[in-house]
Amino acid sequence: MNLAIDVIQALMLIAIAPLVRGVIARIKARIQNRRGASVLRPYADLLKLFRKQDLVPDTASGLFRLAPVILFAVTATAAVFVPVLHASALFGVGGDFILLVYLLAFGRFFLMLGAMDGGSSFGGMGASREALVSALAEAPLLLALTSVAILTHTISLSGIVLATVQQYPLHLSAVYVFALGAMVLVAIAETGRIPVDNPATHLELTMLHEAMVLEYSGPSLALIEWASAVKLTLILALLVGVFAPWGMATGASIVGLVLASGAFALKFAVSAIAIAVIESSIAKLRMYLVPDFLGMASALAILAVAFTALMR
Amino acid sequence: MGLIELAAAKALASSAVFLFITLLMMASAKRISTCIVLFSVQSAIMAAEILAVAYAGKSVESYAVAALVIVVKVVAIPYLLFRIVRNLKASQDVASSTTGAQSVFIMAALILLSFFAVAPYAKTLRLDEDLLAAAIALLLAGAFLMVSRKKALMQVMGLLVLENGILLAALTTTFGMPLVIEIGIFFDLLMGVFLMGLFVFRIRDTFEHLDVSKLRRLRG
Amino acid sequence: MIQTTFNSFLVALLIIPAVLLLCRRSRGTRALPPLLLLLALLAGTVVAGFSFWRGDRLALDLSWATPFPFALTVDRLSAFFLLLICAVGVPVTLFSTSYVERHYSGPKADWMWALLPLFLLSMALVVTASTAFAFLFGWELMTLFSAGLIVIDGASERRRHNIFIYLVMMHAGAAAVIASFLLFVPHANSLDFISMRAAVASMPMGLRTAIFLLSFVGFGTKAGIVPFHLWLPKAHPIAPSPVSALMSAVMLKTAIYGFVRFTFDFLGGGPTWWGYVVLLAGAVTGLLGILYALTEHDLKRLLAYSSVENIGIIYLGLGAALVFMANNAPVWATVALVAALLHALNHSLFKSLLFLGAGAIADATHTLDIELLGGLLRRMRVTGTVFLIGCCSIIGLPLFNGFVGEWMLFRSFIEGAELPGISSAIILPLMAGVLALIGGIAAACFAKLYGVAFLGRARSIEAEHATEVTTSMQAAMALLAAACVAIGIVPGVVLNPLMVLARELMHSPALPEATLPISHALPLIAACVGVVIIAVAGIRRIKRVTPTWACGLPALDSRMQYSSAAFSKPLRKVFSKVYEADRTVEVAYAQEPYFPKSIVYRSVRTTSFEKSLYRPAVDAIVGMASRLRRLQTGNMQVYLLYIFLALITLLVFMRFA
Repeated sequence: MNLAIDVIQALMLIAIAPLVRGVIARIKARIQNRRGASVLRPYADLLKLFRKQDLVPDTASGLFRLAPVILFAVTATAAVFVPVLHASALFGVGGDFILLVYLLAFGRFFLMLGAMDGGSSFGGMGASREALVSALAEAPLLLALTSVAILTHTISLSGIVLATVQQYPLHLSAVYVFALGAMVLVAIAETGRIPVDNPATHLELTMLHEAMVLEYSGPSLALIEWASAVKLTLILALLVGVFAPWGMATGASIVGLVLASGAFALKFAVSAIAIAVIESSIAKLRMYLVPDFLGMASALAILAVAFTALMR
Repeated sequence: MGLIELAAAKALASSAVFLFITLLMMASAKRISTCIVLFSVQSAIMAAEILAVAYAGKSVESYAVAALVIVVKVVAIPYLLFRIVRNLKASQDVASSTTGAQSVFIMAALILLSFFAVAPYAKTLRLDEDLLAAAIALLLAGAFLMVSRKKALMQVMGLLVLENGILLAALTTTFGMPLVIEIGIFFDLLMGVFLMGLFVFRIRDTFEHLDVSKLRRLRG
Repeated sequence: MIQTTFNSFLVALLIIPAVLLLCRRSRGTRALPPLLLLLALLAGTVVAGFSFWRGDRLALDLSWATPFPFALTVDRLSAFFLLLICAVGVPVTLFSTSYVERHYSGPKADWMWALLPLFLLSMALVVTASTAFAFLFGWELMTLFSAGLIVIDGASERRRHNIFIYLVMMHAGAAAVIASFLLFVPHANSLDFISMRAAVASMPMGLRTAIFLLSFVGFGTKAGIVPFHLWLPKAHPIAPSPVSALMSAVMLKTAIYGFVRFTFDFLGGGPTWWGYVVLLAGAVTGLLGILYALTEHDLKRLLAYSSVENIGIIYLGLGAALVFMANNAPVWATVALVAALLHALNHSLFKSLLFLGAGAIADATHTLDIELLGGLLRRMRVTGTVFLIGCCSIIGLPLFNGFVGEWMLFRSFIEGAELPGISSAIILPLMAGVLALIGGIAAACFAKLYGVAFLGRARSIEAEHATEVTTSMQAAMALLAAACVAIGIVPGVVLNPLMVLARELMHSPALPEATLPISHALPLIAACVGVVIIAVAGIRRIKRVTPTWACGLPALDSRMQYSSAAFSKPLRKVFSKVYEADRTVEVAYAQEPYFPKSIVYRSVRTTSFEKSLYRPAVDAIVGMASRLRRLQTGNMQVYLLYIFLALITLLVFMRFA
């Protein structure tokens, strides 16, 4: 039973990822006084791309077409780590947050290489900027998760979520506040949202992710887009799971699971609204202010870790 | 009833962290108005703390102090400052001499420093270490804001944060100063803000800007 | 049986130069020395493997033949490092067989085959020695043979200068090592390792600290920790590629061995601040190493700096182990030590792979400047693929070996939060952040390296006409790549014996259960990734080759590609304080101000250590020497006066002392 739920929640995470994107885009459109496309639009886009031809630059090597496959595979594997409906996951016990962070880095490394294989300056520029963001984002992400792991005395994601969900919200250590702050900043950078990156632009001065995937088309692009949607969803699920897991099922009862699904949908809706509001109300940062942004995340994460020792 | 007690205990226990958050946000804030809002929030946290102490100690005086804090620091001073900002029609930038990340790092270092500074005293005096550290951190943060921000209004902000630190130190060491002294301090502050406001306008009128670093031209 | 194999392994390495001398005349037997070396190393691998996995002790006492006690012993720790030397030696030798043939002829090739086994032998001596004399003998020979191997590639003014710096710093380091041995003398009745170990119990704390600091500096110089790393990026890149591989992958590890032997085996740990010193050294070395590597365009210099970084990571593990030991947590000290040793092994594998890859690139294109490479993966498929595996390993991606050591390091850092001391509980977990930052920058660095050198379009004619290297070179690299992947997916193979080894060193009562899941999780993850890849590969993807999008311009050329300098620019800008680059831009105008004829951009990174640490030190020494020269008048009477004065001083001293 537990195994089945684990498999289902991982598949669900991968399946609903485009929907999450669609919902955010829809809410954003509403805030900006537009009708906006249907929330199912990302699925239609993926279907369309999967039916198209794969255009490959004449300079590219085999790695160009391999990179999207690897990116998707490791991102999908990372999704198996995250508890969603109940406080456990398939790789939740053996799979810890270090593995999760490094799996995401795995995919990003290959995406950067794929971008550079195109042989144009767009790909190189995107990869270079992505390298900057990821180099500086990894440390605060790991430190923030480390502080939570220290509080819960376990490094496995299931353990962390279980320890949190069993506590009364008011009893949570205040260190969570610092860790949450750092995680939110990093999550924005990692998933390429405003103010670090603008997912809706194709202007070379402002973009990171879009510059990297400029040479990709057809099924390869579909895989990349799907993978980045999965990444967004799993980081949201991680944030929700670590900092607001209440409502998750702790056992394997049907009622609990239904309730957990409801709670999950509600929490995701709230996060989507939050993202849409943030993205509509602030401007994208200049490229060289991004290190500043991540520096703040690092300071918060360092404080979070220091406070686990100071407040024990 | 249990819930209120729990909330009061929680307010005391975690208020230090929330104070630190306001400090960190102040360090990262780029606009004066953000700082004013943050100051108001910070004072509200202080008020909650005083209320919690009052509830625990059943002291009427403390309730009065809490009320004063809310009236003066949460509402009146921010309101005044907002008016000054609005009437000045100057740029909102705090004109920091350190970058955002640097400020936040320095602020984090100051917070850690205050923890290390108070650790021996808190043990011997049996005081709440977090709150005492928070008080010192507020003092240091106020001083840091005054040093690193070039706008005259930010010097006022620094002073106000510093004063919050003094209040918190008094609260944690002696469970509140006598009401009369508190009232005196508040009026002092209020007058200070008025005076600083006047000065800010004078500086602006004379030099066409608010950057105190330009006052250097005054030397002979 | 094993003992005999071990002895013959040593003898074989020793006699290869002699065999070479006999065989060089005839054409038919030319292949004998390499073959002999290969066989000897294989035998060495088997011996070391047996000894490492099963814990058999080997011993060889040659004191009857030498004026000083000269004995070799192989315990688990020695066996591990011997395994590392031999296991890396095999593919390097395999690679060398065709590399030497293609690049050297006549005496140069002979020198190569004569010095290579001796170099390997000297390293084997260092890690198996059980007396101070044998250790130092090997230690000094190691420096000399490696310097000899560097000279084979030429001895121009510049190269001689670099070799000189290498030798000077090695001797300064050796002096510190010798001093730390000599400090044992008052308490140990002889300088063999057993009595040295026994002597520690009666030593005062101050003496132990002195020994620790001296060995830290002495071995640190060899390992290349900042600020003693200066020689490393000068000496490693100018050696022939297989030798660079050995120097970076294996020689640096002998210093790790020495440090572990002294600090953990002899001294048995010390106060917490020792750990902090090592942690600090590791953090600074790791960060600066990778930041310097990021700016390099020369493939081998980049790899040399990345060796500095990896040594930093190893020291982080050693430091954590010392902190745990000082706080009476031997179980977690074991984990940290295993992490350090495992990373040492992993670094040997992927760094030798990358250096051999650099050799292959140099072989195919005759350049190591990555700005002149590009598009190599299309032309050199095997080299490109194994180099990619090396890159994935070095930045610690899961399913490759680099990850396992880093994971264990992270695990032990996080566990540091459980220590009672508040400073340890803050510092150790924060080191996880340092390690993550190092890892992030390393990813950027190697994405740059691989992207610029192997992907996109060729940036020079040489790169465009590159062809795949010989089969034996490919096989050598593939062997190392296979080892990287194998350890990455099934780490238990080396993890379990390493745990036993570390437990013996730490006298730890138990092994922490918490580190076991990683061994089980990695194969599962590999399976999961594999299944998804197979599933996704089934998607229909019709390929159509088109020119790269050029924004409507006629065509792109290689100069429009993102260059290596451009790629690292954002990170260089963020860390500009570290680099202190001297930037000059010279513009020559055909017609001012709009038509420049040429623009020369030069950016020189002044190593601040050279400027603010080494320059004053060298100046001071030279100044002192020139002041001392005044004593040297050349006048006979003055020299007699010196002797006379010395006599009187001695007499006076004897009277009052």
